[in-house]
Amino acid sequence: MGRWADISFEARMATVEFRVSERAHIVVDSDVCRSCTTKVCVHACPADLFAPTADGGILFNYEQCFECGTCYMVCNSEGAISWTYPDGGHGVVFRHG
Amino acid sequence: MTDEQQAPDPPVFDAVVVGAGPAGASAALALARAGRSVVMVERGPFPGAKNVYGGVVYGRVLDEVIPHWWEQVPVQRWVVRRSTMILTDTQAVTLDVRSQAWGAQPYNGMTVFRADFDSWLAQHAIDAGARLLTSTVATGLLRDGSGRICGVRTDRPGGDLRARVVIACDGVNSFLAKEAGLLPRADATHMTLGAKEVLALPAGVIEERFGLGPHEGLDIEAVGGTAGVPGGGFLYTNRDSVSVGVVVSLNGLAASGRRPEDLIASFKAHPGIASYLKGAEVKEYSAHLIPEGGYSTMPELATDGLLVAGDAAAMTLAAGIWLEGVNFAIGAGLEAGRAAATAIGTGDVSAAGLSGYRRALEASFVLRDHKRLRLAPDLVLSDRMQQQYTKVLCDIAEDLFTVTNPQPKPGLVRIMRRVLRRHRVRWRDLARDGLDTARTFR
Amino acid sequence: MVAVCVAPTDLRPEVDDLTGTVRSDLRRADLPAAEAAALEYGLRIAEEWGGWVLVACCGSAAADDLLREARALGAEVVRVGTAPSPTAGPLGPLGPLGPHPVAPGDLAGHPAATAAALAGAIRGHGQPALVLCGDRSGGAGVGAVPAFLAAELGLGQSLGLVSVRTEGVGRLVVERRLDGGWRERLAITGPAVLSVEGAGVRLRRAGLDAVLESAGAPFDVRSPNGSQTPPGEPVAGGMHTSASRPYRPRTRPVPAPTGDAHERLLALTGALSDREPARVVGPLTAAEAADELLAYLARRGYTT
Ligand SMILES: Cc1cc2nc3c(=O)[nH]c(=O)nc-3n(C[C@H](O)[C@H](O)[C@H](O)COP(=O)(O)OP(=O)(O)OC[C@H]3O[C@@H](n4cnc5c(N)ncnc54)[C@H](O)[C@@H]3O)c2cc1C
Ligand code: SF4
Ligand code: SF4
Repeated sequence: MGRWADISFEARMATVEFRVSERAHIVVDSDVCRSCTTKVCVHACPADLFAPTADGGILFNYEQCFECGTCYMVCNSEGAISWTYPDGGHGVVFRHG
Repeated sequence: MTDEQQAPDPPVFDAVVVGAGPAGASAALALARAGRSVVMVERGPFPGAKNVYGGVVYGRVLDEVIPHWWEQVPVQRWVVRRSTMILTDTQAVTLDVRSQAWGAQPYNGMTVFRADFDSWLAQHAIDAGARLLTSTVATGLLRDGSGRICGVRTDRPGGDLRARVVIACDGVNSFLAKEAGLLPRADATHMTLGAKEVLALPAGVIEERFGLGPHEGLDIEAVGGTAGVPGGGFLYTNRDSVSVGVVVSLNGLAASGRRPEDLIASFKAHPGIASYLKGAEVKEYSAHLIPEGGYSTMPELATDGLLVAGDAAAMTLAAGIWLEGVNFAIGAGLEAGRAAATAIGTGDVSAAGLSGYRRALEASFVLRDHKRLRLAPDLVLSDRMQQQYTKVLCDIAEDLFTVTNPQPKPGLVRIMRRVLRRHRVRWRDLARDGLDTARTFR
Repeated sequence: MVAVCVAPTDLRPEVDDLTGTVRSDLRRADLPAAEAAALEYGLRIAEEWGGWVLVACCGSAAADDLLREARALGAEVVRVGTAPSPTAGPLGPLGPLGPHPVAPGDLAGHPAATAAALAGAIRGHGQPALVLCGDRSGGAGVGAVPAFLAAELGLGQSLGLVSVRTEGVGRLVVERRLDGGWRERLAITGPAVLSVEGAGVRLRRAGLDAVLESAGAPFDVRSPNGSQTPPGEPVAGGMHTSASRPYRPRTRPVPAPTGDAHERLLALTGALSDREPARVVGPLTAAEAADELLAYLARRGYTT
């Protein structure tokens, strides 16, 4: 396999422009996640922003989010994810979308 | 918290269009052309900044509103070659269609980047007199005393924007349609996730590898090739890059435990694709949802003071061999704009006054195509289609062209019987699914 | 009048790996963080001093939308349109990077010419009480424009500030980094050119009405050649250092380890010494995380 397949995830995300807002537009309630058995968000999020913690919860970083909506669509625990768009002008900026 | 004594502020605009994507820009264009005051509210710093798609826009829908659009559209390449592939892990069956007619007026498909295309289309609306408010999120609907929608709230200071009609063109996650009670809060069953990479390749290499002339492009749509997750892949050629990605069922992805970029990697590593991409490096990675449910999942399209168009109303046509959303969004946006302009003219912007929108869509390709193909999304993502028939088709093709001398050729019926048995498909199911398919795509 | 100089740039230009060619797209331009900070400081200072803000930009029309947004924040806007030739500035073509491809209207490589054009535009609107810039432009900038600008306008300069606050009308207290973790605090009273780092403040957002009003409205666009006023006379004083102190926490001296080489190595690397096991304390808000870190440093004796 050529090296184009081997790009690290950090390098992959570095190809995208994010105008990071001060406000976290997505907030994950780790207490709700502790009782979630599937944790589907962890692998489904294309930006890999959900990190499971040792205590069974979720550590979420909003900065490099595509604002796609996958996470709140696949999560079926009510109240785990509070999802909004980033403030106007902030967040992801695609050049080649 | 309105002051009881004070009359509500009068509407500032005839219409506010939320979202400056293809649907929103088209709605604003139609309204402005009809002489109505209209403002587009777009949350990105410029139109297209938030938008991701595969890569091909079918432009004929623009003929009536932007004459000679092909002379000014920010095109990457004109698609003259279209391959539809059916993939298993090690096999591929391809239907390869080429037409030089697609590379000349009036053209068929073109590859464009959304940052370019959406900005271009929005500029047409602006030139026609529409206003554009970028970097502004519409955070909710405004309602008057009787509960009728009369504008939107924005996240700017002092951000209430009053209008006679609101047109929600805010895309697949449409929080406005959700707030109005038209869409469910979340609907993973009818969503697919598209994840894509734009890979740099020199123009000359693209033309050589894909057998294309200088401005010509190729469009590959694949069913399968996504490591067993229901869905498919795509590859589009831009001027000096290619867009490669996968579109997978959201529930399938959730159940699979696979990561989206892994699925892109397995599509790219498929022997039928890999050699095309040698040496190509990632320029941008992106992801976006697609509402694939089609006709049966479309919301109510109008309520008092509100119209819904484009992906916000699940109008992407995703029927396996087609993935068209931009042209549907444009078609719907134009009709929404026209219907709103008419309703504003008559002074009746209630659901009844706005009902001309649905009638117009029923008469246009937007709802006619969707109605005809309403069974396709389920069929294409069904287990039998995804898991069994792709293998059956590839095996039949492989056996047909495998020369097993000194044995004589087995004959098609024998091959079919053998392959169907191998994949445990009963003739009865095959016949029924064949009939379904024929009915679906009739 | 408080003048703020901005140069909206494509902050993520495409760089060709092989040839090094830079392709930038001004339609995707944004204000570099430092210039956004400069504008925010400018607005705050003008509010407190009862003045007004002039936003001056030297470049093409591609980023006019960003200037309109600034206008919606209550600033006057002037843009010096077409690029002057690199020799136009009275100080000559002092682009420190030498010849490199300059996009039309982009004077990133010609700070002297840029400064001359900006100075002319500012003077055309009055005498500035203060001129604020970003510490360096978003493109290939090296931060020379503010210095040239100070020379052009005959003002004092204080560059690379990390904080700016007013102390009554006409007086500022600013801080900047010095080498070795030192900070310098300056009191500024007279007109001066200041450049700020992009940290500490965020640019406010313009209100809806103002944005609607400003969209599409014209502003002052002038050509650089009409602005050949002679450089101003140097203004003496107006700026003095009031304090300069080292960065904290201070370095903690650790006694040199003793023993043979093996023991010294062990002591230096801490390989066998007890260490605090890692703990998960999150998720925390930024404030809680800062408290946690400070508490840790205090426990380890760093912040005394
Ligand atoms: C991976 C993928 C591949 C695709 N491939 C193709 C293809 O090849 N050809 C094709 O024709 N279609 C394709 N589509 C479908 C196509 O992208 C969509 O159908 C089309 O973009 C819909 O247009 P729209 O205007 O309705 O919505 P969008 O294009 O999603 O536009 C919505 C706009 O609204 C803005 N917005 C949203 N909410 C707010 C708010 N609250 N306030 C302010 N602004 C807001 C967004 O920023 C955005 O600009 C693809 C989609 C995906 C995801
Ligand atoms: S966000 Fe949802 S899916 Fe993810 S761990 Fe929490 S509850 Fe589970
Ligand atoms: S919106 Fe998409 S990118 Fe952002 S956190 Fe959710 S799944 Fe990840």
